[in-house]
Amino acid sequence: MARMKFLCDADRCIECNACVTACKNEHEVPWGINRRRVVTLNDGKPGERSVSMACMHCTDAPCAAVCPVNCFYTTADAVVLHSKDICIGCGYCFYACPFGAPQYPKVGNFGSRGKMDKCTYCAGGPESDLSTIEYEKYGSNRLAEGKLPLCAEMCSTKALLAGDGEMIAQIYKQRVIKRGYGSGAWGWKTAYRETVAI
Amino acid sequence: MRDDRKDEMGRRHFFRALGGGSVAAAAAITAQPMIATPAQAYDPGADETKARYRESDHVKAFYRTNGYETLKKN
Repeated sequence: MARMKFLCDADRCIECNACVTACKNEHEVPWGINRRRVVTLNDGKPGERSVSMACMHCTDAPCAAVCPVNCFYTTADAVVLHSKDICIGCGYCFYACPFGAPQYPKVGNFGSRGKMDKCTYCAGGPESDLSTIEYEKYGSNRLAEGKLPLCAEMCSTKALLAGDGEMIAQIYKQRVIKRGYGSGAWGWKTAYRETVAI
Repeated sequence: MRDDRKDEMGRRHFFRALGGGSVAAAAAITAQPMIATPAQAYDPGADETKARYRESDHVKAFYRTNGYETLKKN
């Protein structure tokens, strides 16, 4: 069974934010919410690296562990999704997430933030596949269409990889071996408790 | 001063009686066994948790174009 993962090749990311824009447009993500962001480390200094970050769809996801209403579920593809009908907007998942993925439509205290929104790995939500209600709540369901997340497909430098974990790890290994250096698979130890051994 | 209201329940007696009643009520509640209800996680059903990923031609093209062989400069 394929296990969906994201891998950002930080040596290729040029901080163009095309992934962020593609995601916003594809899912019509509301104002104030970014399901994906590009984080730049050591900005303007030697060794600067940019990493495109979103929900990593963790193994044993901490957001699901702390949710008081158990609105999270994991699909057979290991994609972590949630039900906006059950979410109470408490914000616990935001505090638990090591990647800062959960976002809220409103600024407020406990329960007044609105329903949590996060990357769905372009896999929609609990409503029936490719339905209008699913699109309105969670955005498009590209996985059901036989496609991969648009952020990765749009990446101009092919830095962001998505798909079967084994497959994208193999692609990354080939790159590192050929060019002779790599920055490691960012977030993999935290999210999947493993890394790409080369 | 003579107490003319001996038959009536005084303030202290009232609260004593009330306290006794509360203890009896609490005892009645604890006498009933506490039945633990199992926590229920959200289950969207097998249809919604099924695998959607499939290695379509579209996905294969993504893997092929991201592989090193097509990225390297000749």
